[in-house]
Amino acid sequence: MTDFRGLLSALSDGGVEFILVGGVAATAHGSARLTLDVDVVYRRSPGSIERLVTALAPLHPYLRGVPPGLPFRWDARTLRSGLNFTLTTDLGDLDLLGEIVGGGRFEDLVPRTVGIRVFEMECRCLDLDTLIHVKRAAGRPKDLEAIAELEAIREERARLDEP
Amino acid sequence: MGEPISWRTDLEIDPVVEAYKQHVDRSLIRENLRRSVEERFRRLIELQGFAEELRRAGRAASRR
Repeated sequence: MTDFRGLLSALSDGGVEFILVGGVAATAHGSARLTLDVDVVYRRSPGSIERLVTALAPLHPYLRGVPPGLPFRWDARTLRSGLNFTLTTDLGDLDLLGEIVGGGRFEDLVPRTVGIRVFEMECRCLDLDTLIHVKRAAGRPKDLEAIAELEAIREERARLDEP
Repeated sequence: MGEPISWRTDLEIDPVVEAYKQHVDRSLIRENLRRSVEERFRRLIELQGFAEELRRAGRAASRR
C-alpha cells in the first residue's frame, strides 16, 4: 500500500519543490480511478536536489523493478546524473520526474499548476487542462481511458460553472 | 526535448477517447466534484485498501 500522506509529507516537510502529476493529480481533480503510486515533477536546482536527497533518504529509495542488490546510491550525484527515477520507498512507489513529455521541466510547468491543500499541506498540482495535454502527448494506449475520464471531468466542471 | 512546448489544450477529437468517454461513470465524477480535495484523497486511500483486501482474498482463494 502507498502511504500518500507520508510521501507527500516527506517531500513537503523537506522543502522539496515539486508538482503533483499523473494519477494523484487526477485524483485531486476528481478522478475516481485507483492509482497506486505518487508521480511528481521535481525542480532540478542544486538546492532542491539536495533537499530531495535528504528528505527521502530515511525512506530508503531504490530503483523499482530492478533486481535486488543492484548498486544504487541515493545521493545528489545520482540525481544530477539522471533525470527520471521510478522508485520504491518504505512508504510506497514514487516516480520522480525531471521532465515530462509535452510539459517539460518544473519551471515550464509551474505557471500551469493550481495550489491544493491536502493533509494540512499546500502542494502544487498540474492543472486539469495541462494534465490532459501531457497525457495525450505521452501517447500511451494505457492512458486513453484516463484521458476520457479527465475530459469528462472537464465537461462536468463546465456544466457546474454554467449559470 | 529542447523544442518549444506547445500548450494547445484544444487538440483534435480522438475517436478512441470519445468511445471510452461514453462509458465513463459521470455520477461518480459529479459525486467527487462535490467533495473537497482532501476528501478525494481519503477516498483514494480507502479504495486502495479495498483493492489490497481483494488481492489478499484472491491469493488466499487460489491457495485453497
